[in-house]
Amino acid sequence: MSSLGLALAAATAQVGERAICFHCGEPVDASSPFVPDGAEPAFCCKGCAAAAQWIRDADLGDYYRLRSQLASRVSEDAVDLAMWDRGELLVGHILECEGGNEITLLADGMRCAACAWLVDRALAREPGVLEVSANAITGRIRLSWDPTRTHLSQPLRRLVALGYRPYLAAGEEHERARRSERNRWLLRVGIAGLGAMQAMMFADALYFDTAQQMTLPMRDFLRWVTFLIATPVVFFSGWPFLAGAWHELRQRQLGMDTLIAGSTLLAYTASLLETIRGGTHVWYDAAVMFVFLLLVARMLEQRARALASAQVDALARARPAFATRELGDGGRELVALTALEAGDIACVAAGQLVPADGVLLDDHGCFEEALLTGESRPVEKPGGAQVFAGTICRERPARIRLTEVGSSTRLSQLTRLVERAQAHRPALARIADQVASRFVIGLLLVAAATWLAWHWQQPARAFEVTLALLVISCPCAMSLSVPAALAAAHGALAREGVLAVRPEALERLALATDIVFDKTGTLSDGQLVVAEVRTFDAFDRQQALRIAAALERDSGHPLAAAFKHVDSSGMRVERIETVAGAGVKGCIDGIDWRLGHACFATGGRDDEAIWLGDGSRATARFVVRDSERADATTAVTSLRALGIAVHLSSGDARAPVARLAQLVGIADPQSRQSPEDKLALVRGLQQNRRVVLMVGDGINDAPVLAGADVSIAFGAGAALAQQAADLVLTGNSLMRIPEAIAIARRTRKVIRQNLGWAIAYNLLALPVAAAGLVAPWMAAVGMAMSSLLVTANSLRLARRRAR
Amino acid sequence: MNILLMLVPLSLMLLGAAVWAFVWAVRRGQFDDLDTPALDILADDEAEQSVPGADSVN
Repeated sequence: MSSLGLALAAATAQVGERAICFHCGEPVDASSPFVPDGAEPAFCCKGCAAAAQWIRDADLGDYYRLRSQLASRVSEDAVDLAMWDRGELLVGHILECEGGNEITLLADGMRCAACAWLVDRALAREPGVLEVSANAITGRIRLSWDPTRTHLSQPLRRLVALGYRPYLAAGEEHERARRSERNRWLLRVGIAGLGAMQAMMFADALYFDTAQQMTLPMRDFLRWVTFLIATPVVFFSGWPFLAGAWHELRQRQLGMDTLIAGSTLLAYTASLLETIRGGTHVWYDAAVMFVFLLLVARMLEQRARALASAQVDALARARPAFATRELGDGGRELVALTALEAGDIACVAAGQLVPADGVLLDDHGCFEEALLTGESRPVEKPGGAQVFAGTICRERPARIRLTEVGSSTRLSQLTRLVERAQAHRPALARIADQVASRFVIGLLLVAAATWLAWHWQQPARAFEVTLALLVISCPCAMSLSVPAALAAAHGALAREGVLAVRPEALERLALATDIVFDKTGTLSDGQLVVAEVRTFDAFDRQQALRIAAALERDSGHPLAAAFKHVDSSGMRVERIETVAGAGVKGCIDGIDWRLGHACFATGGRDDEAIWLGDGSRATARFVVRDSERADATTAVTSLRALGIAVHLSSGDARAPVARLAQLVGIADPQSRQSPEDKLALVRGLQQNRRVVLMVGDGINDAPVLAGADVSIAFGAGAALAQQAADLVLTGNSLMRIPEAIAIARRTRKVIRQNLGWAIAYNLLALPVAAAGLVAPWMAAVGMAMSSLLVTANSLRLARRRAR
Repeated sequence: MNILLMLVPLSLMLLGAAVWAFVWAVRRGQFDDLDTPALDILADDEAEQSVPGADSVN
């Protein structure tokens, strides 16, 4: 513990003292040439400095004042944008518009409204750009340009220079469908709102005529006008509920939509009947207010989830739209991804996505497999090795002979596996639907009984009393209770940095009894630290560390991160050379050093440690390992305090897993687990009626994430794991997990309170109404108060912060 | 009370106008992004459209 803890503490302190980049907030490296001397802000890299410079020169410096989140680091990798100028590759994405073409792009890195503001302004200034609209919520940019005046790559180059990378969205047709769906929702809510206001106004006129002074023709005139207004609200705005109810009826499963549609239609048709036969009361206002309130609640909930899923819509970004194919004569052509076939040779430039699975034809290649493994460090691959679609080619271009394309790539297979696992989830009954459907049945029974009783006693009033009963018990508060609480909870979670991607995530999270951690990248943070140093022949420990750090300093080797915090300034390394797959060698003060595997550095047997030596004699041995997350122990303790059993199931070797488990306090850790073993563990727990929360990171976790009752993935991890998870943590803090569980449990409590209140209200109102004693205005006031109470109770979730 | 016979149709016409305006605004994408335009008012007035040279890129 001690050496690890010390190394960790030292690392934190050093980061604390360092300057952070003005643009992206990452620590500025002391050796970077972009550290300014005076009052100038510091930058971490050339890319950020150039972006900030441009923003200032363009008078858009307000961006820094307006933003609520830091920008993402501007990559210095050259991005080839030439493909964006090839019209034939963009068929189906480009739309002709007035004066030019229009395209919808997905952009990485738009994190807050200020980003969208900046993109809007920056692109609008490019010559030939007609119109830009960027939306941070959906991560999309709509761009129209005049092809006679500029190429599309021109504004996109600006976009890349500001740190946002463009990707092709799903195609114009799909985008248009998405937009019109959104607009239809807005229209529904807007028309319901306007209609509800008007209907309420006329209804008030009718309600306040308590002394019956209004002439009958005037009363009927007002009723018919209200009918006119209520009709589009019920049938146009309320259509989602009507369609949902029809769907539920066909599935023979009464749920929320049946209840909503049923009450609305009842209030509406009853009012219409009363209007026609000149009865005493109409309830149009109840019908329209009901539709309006529920639409708003549902839209708020959907918006919260849309925001969450847009941010993890990473899979769309992992699929390149184009590929470069090598022709028989050695020439190259750019083709659409769908045109690739197995056996083709694809050329992938550094920084680009591999289009399909294949075999590496070069001697060496370097690929970042973050999408598949969650590991952001590039992996060195020898010639002939398997390369997977969706991984990123690093450092040098690669030539790949394709073996699997399209839906047979590993990426597609895993996606299907995830979908299958999700379909086989154990069904957890949803409390709201359960309560609602029981309520609907109960209500219908009571109504039937009331009608029979009155029909037997006093046939003339039977119809009227039954109607009054149904309208009064119209479960406004009950239907609001769940969506309002969920909307508030989603907001609270998002502020905590937890995005709930799936609708049932919160309910399942609240029920969780067991949590299963996967070691890699969940309990550990992926940061390498030097955990152990041993020197030989009484060589100075510190000196050995400094030599190693100096050798690694300029190598760009992944292991360099482990030595990052050792001060090696003042050491000059000459003739430095990286030997692929072995290590680094160089000359310091006239002595030749080798750092790397044992056989390379000392001539000894390889033991997975890092050795420093001169090629035959060992000087020092370093053990480098992942450090645990700073808050792992606290998080595990808080999870226990919530009454949750903590498990650890890792694919790693026994010793490091046991060490980590002991460090954070998890008993009985399981090591060397395959994804199938992990899934079996989850299934075993589930058979004991436990509800399992899985926290995972890599792609090997995706099936387990999907198979567990509820799952959390890290935003920095594999995109496919996020796709499989119910919730995604945007930050790096493990403490978010107990906090999210606490919020979920509170949400469940609030939903219960709301339902309890709504049922109590209805139980009180029912007998009174059944006895024929309730005037409609009393029912209206009661219903409104009850809805307000439920909404206010739900809003407590949004206000109170988790401890 | 007869004034109502004029006022009610009038209010209906106003309602129709409001609905039409709303539909127009939605179709024109006025509600597409509710966060970004809110920032405009916080930004200083742009003195002039200065465009730094395109060569500063790369």
